Amino acid sequence: MTIRFGGMSRRSFLRTGAAFGVAAGAVGLKTPALAQSGLPDIQATLDGISVANYVREDYRKLYNMSDEPLWDPAKDWIRTVDWEKVRSELGGTTVRFAIGAADQESAAEGLKPFEALSGIKVELVPIPDDSIYDKAISEFISGNASFDALQFFSAWLGDFAAPGFLAPLDDFAAKWNLPLDDFYDTYRLNYGYFGGKLVGLPFDCDIQMVHLRKSVLEPILGGPIDLVNSVPTYDELIRITGEANKLGGGVAGIGLLGARGFWSTYTWEHIAAQAGMQLFDANWNPTLNTDAGMKGMETLLALAQNAIEGVSGAGWGENRAAWLGGQVAANISWQDSGTQAMRPDQSQIVDDFVTIYEPRISGGVFAPPNIAGSTSVVTATSQNPEGAFLMLAFLTTSSIMAMNEANANGVAPGYRSVLSNERLRAVSQPMKVWADSLEHAWCSPRLPGMFEMEQALGNEINRAITGQITAKEALDNGQAAWKSIMEKNGFKDGGGPVAYADVAPGLYVGGGKALPF
Amino acid sequence: MLRRVFMSVAEKPCRSDQMTTKAPLVSAAGVAKATPNRRNTGPRRRSPALRKAFPYLLLAPAMAYLLVITLYPGLFAIYQSLFVVKFLTWEWTGLGNYSAILQDREFWAALGNTAIIGGISLTLQTAIALTIAYFAYRDPFIRGWRIVYLMPMLFMPSAVAFIWKLAFNDGRVISNLLMSVGLVDGNVDWLGNVWLARMTLIVADVWQWTPFLFIIFVAALQGQDQEIEEAARLDGASWPSIFWNISLPMMRPVIVVAVTLRGIDITTMFTNVFVMTQGTPGGATETMSYFIYRQGFRMFNFGYASAASVLMLILTIIIAQTVVKRAFHSGKK
Amino acid sequence: MAKYRKTRGESLLLRYIVLGGWALVCLLPILWFLSIGFRPRTEVITPVPIYWPTWSLDAWHLLMSDWPIAQYLRNSVIAVAGSVIIDLILAIPAAYALSRYEFKGREDIGFYILSTRMMAPAIVAVPIFFLFKTMGLLDSVWALMLIYAAINLSLVTWIIRSYMLDIPKELEDAARTDGAGDLRILWEIIIPACLPGIITAAVIAAIFAINEFLFTLLIASTANAYTMSVALANFTGGSDGIIYNAIALVSFIAFVPILILVILIQKHLSRGLTMGAVKG
Repeated sequence: MTIRFGGMSRRSFLRTGAAFGVAAGAVGLKTPALAQSGLPDIQATLDGISVANYVREDYRKLYNMSDEPLWDPAKDWIRTVDWEKVRSELGGTTVRFAIGAADQESAAEGLKPFEALSGIKVELVPIPDDSIYDKAISEFISGNASFDALQFFSAWLGDFAAPGFLAPLDDFAAKWNLPLDDFYDTYRLNYGYFGGKLVGLPFDCDIQMVHLRKSVLEPILGGPIDLVNSVPTYDELIRITGEANKLGGGVAGIGLLGARGFWSTYTWEHIAAQAGMQLFDANWNPTLNTDAGMKGMETLLALAQNAIEGVSGAGWGENRAAWLGGQVAANISWQDSGTQAMRPDQSQIVDDFVTIYEPRISGGVFAPPNIAGSTSVVTATSQNPEGAFLMLAFLTTSSIMAMNEANANGVAPGYRSVLSNERLRAVSQPMKVWADSLEHAWCSPRLPGMFEMEQALGNEINRAITGQITAKEALDNGQAAWKSIMEKNGFKDGGGPVAYADVAPGLYVGGGKALPF
Repeated sequence: MLRRVFMSVAEKPCRSDQMTTKAPLVSAAGVAKATPNRRNTGPRRRSPALRKAFPYLLLAPAMAYLLVITLYPGLFAIYQSLFVVKFLTWEWTGLGNYSAILQDREFWAALGNTAIIGGISLTLQTAIALTIAYFAYRDPFIRGWRIVYLMPMLFMPSAVAFIWKLAFNDGRVISNLLMSVGLVDGNVDWLGNVWLARMTLIVADVWQWTPFLFIIFVAALQGQDQEIEEAARLDGASWPSIFWNISLPMMRPVIVVAVTLRGIDITTMFTNVFVMTQGTPGGATETMSYFIYRQGFRMFNFGYASAASVLMLILTIIIAQTVVKRAFHSGKK
Repeated sequence: MAKYRKTRGESLLLRYIVLGGWALVCLLPILWFLSIGFRPRTEVITPVPIYWPTWSLDAWHLLMSDWPIAQYLRNSVIAVAGSVIIDLILAIPAAYALSRYEFKGREDIGFYILSTRMMAPAIVAVPIFFLFKTMGLLDSVWALMLIYAAINLSLVTWIIRSYMLDIPKELEDAARTDGAGDLRILWEIIIPACLPGIITAAVIAAIFAINEFLFTLLIASTANAYTMSVALANFTGGSDGIIYNAIALVSFIAFVPILILVILIQKHLSRGLTMGAVKG
């Protein structure tokens, strides 16, 4: 019986490879309380947060990675903060962190050194990802959330912040010198701020992109794929995926997210943004069924004709599996489709794909969409908000984020200093296109009720994808639903719980900038 | 003479005490144990009041338990249905939620879907279970590995949902099999067509829950009196007529109970929808339970969701009421 | 059991084709899913399905090293066993009352018990969550036990009642005229008589309990109370997508104990329910 090499897990590797003085529990989730005098040496611990210890051995071998940092040490918060001060002020306290169960691994890896450095004990509360919203909501409803820190889809920031569930972090960020401006604007503005206050630290910084299979599409295009010019428009994408779809062999033309709920919304937002769509006007009227919105729908429906079967039920999990399994010739999905497909233990299509610059729509803008992603917050009822803040700052620090990317575990960095690092670019195929694109990113505003709105619109778009209603009906229905949900959330007569001026800068950061190509 | 045997069985309700049986399960010793020696103690007398209260006392623990755990949420749901609820804010709306629901296209669609998918699934399950049970219960060879027929039910429902999700959608196994026998040309889009999507849910449900009915039917068939059947068989009756005229009527109360129980469960079909389709295409496979879940946990209209579940409860009670009454009546005689 | 005699018109061939066919339908998906559990991730979803994969223990390593599966299994077993015991203690007397006695309100009570099964989990989940929170029982196996017992009580009661109905009244009457009290009758006659029914009901309750998902999800927050049904959910979302091979393996880890249990009591399940008047 052959046992594949990829059988070793990341966490088991860390336990054998690291040389920390902290006793590790059997599962590593609960570590014994640390007396201050028993804490290991700070510099030694920091030195242990390195490529050699954090990046999977098989990947390091595969890409011949040296031990040089994949980040800029000067911008790496954990190496610039005063840990002695942290220990003296907060050593011995506890923080409870609720986290999506499947992301638990990457978080737990990073937390042992945090406990060593800070003397703060962390308890992880894993929640199955499908239900993290339900669980968080239930806890918030009960009036006393039993965790101090939480990480979730950034679109829900408005839902959580508006009722006052989140603790403001500006003071802590100032006190401990968090390098906030290293974040790309689109992440800092949209994942971090609500109502002018900093309430979240960007955690998983996402962007949607277009990925193509070389072996299938290069014959159709007649040559190697040029990142800018081979597929310069969505019309061209429609054409080539149509051709690819006829080839058979179990490979469909394109994969996209067309399932009910927010998945379909994201796909539509992605395409329509290129046509110049904005979701609202300055008076908070939804503007979904404008020409740009309609153009987005038409393009989406045309692509859906060439899409893999089951597209009307494809959420991220299904889409990712189909792409990595080689079932589609192109994919409209997040940037990790471009990274994870490089890794032989996850992908059937290693070396057979490339991520291109966002195709354009005539009359529109170049607006690669910052969609989904996750942010991390401290609850307003937390007993230890400063400790929770420090933990989040630790987890989101650029070195750890850079190594998450190197491990292709789906948690993506949003720092300029990281995405421009040449060594990291060498192991992450889409990174140059990705970094360039972020300076032009489109994003939806974080409003209370946004989660519901995304669901409602997505259900309508899904009905259009399955042919039950027309594109126009879908957008009209969505628009009507949005109006009523917004009213329910306090948006009336042009005003509401969120000022348009507050969010406007984050909606499109590419205005007036020269194209990267 | 045969006809007379058939008629007499068909007219009487099925009670095995009216038929002679083989060696009883309960030995005479058991009866003797329960009976104190008459010489030493007189027959016990109970006060009439105690006698009358006795059944209530027997039921009391179960009732108390259920009341505590189910009445509170039930009342809570009814109460909540009168408000528009968003997280911590409750706004009185009286019957507002109810009138909104009755005008909600999606509510009626969910109701219809539950009836259609549930109805077809239940019918198929019952038919298959009856057939297999009837063929298997006396078979000398099958006895040992009857366990095979039970296996689907022993998996977690979420696991079963993933099995069929992989087989139909993600892994394309069913499409592949159909292609290899030439029934289809390419991969089938199970999620793109209303009836195909419903069919995948029905297949998953039938596969997993037929054993439930099977196990109950087999036990019932084995508990039946063999002599009448033997008599009929000796008289030369064919097996279909034995089945329809003897076995089936004798099983009727059991069938009713089993199908009711399964039917109630089917109305709360959730896991398969959640895993396999999430209601796609366009809501055509959204069952009531998923609708309620979506309203509550995705749209955060808890008051609305409560109202929907109250309506659903009323409906299920009405339907079950008639069935249950009949079950009690046949048991009484 | 009588010697098997063929009935006129009966075809052994048809019988075995039908039985064998359904057996294959039951078995093949299970075997295929087992093969999913023992293959690398990259071979689960491919352009054309792979039926005979490269066998690998990837999923096993993933489960064993990163998740406290033993803990989850233990919680499942405790919660399920406890809930079944609670159910039997409550349901047997209740079923006895419903099947043997005539009293006012009998139908309504019986119906109420049945109706507790009709509540859609999604809507009672939140109030139940609050209830347990105020009782301080969150994140404990006891809470799970209580919930599972409540959910399955109606099922257990009704199944046992059906079997009790079949016990001939003569048996009881004989004992009663001999002076036995009701409780002794229950304990020494009725229960032994419908033991197969009780066991059937217990097994069915166990199966339903081990599969319960939504309440477990809300009540449990740590490995103290997580059960196998929720454990599976760990592999269905998150940055690694749907990890099918892990899901398959977890399913089998939950399946095997139940299978063994059912095999052991199979005899009782299929034992004849024949009973009748005491002869002589």
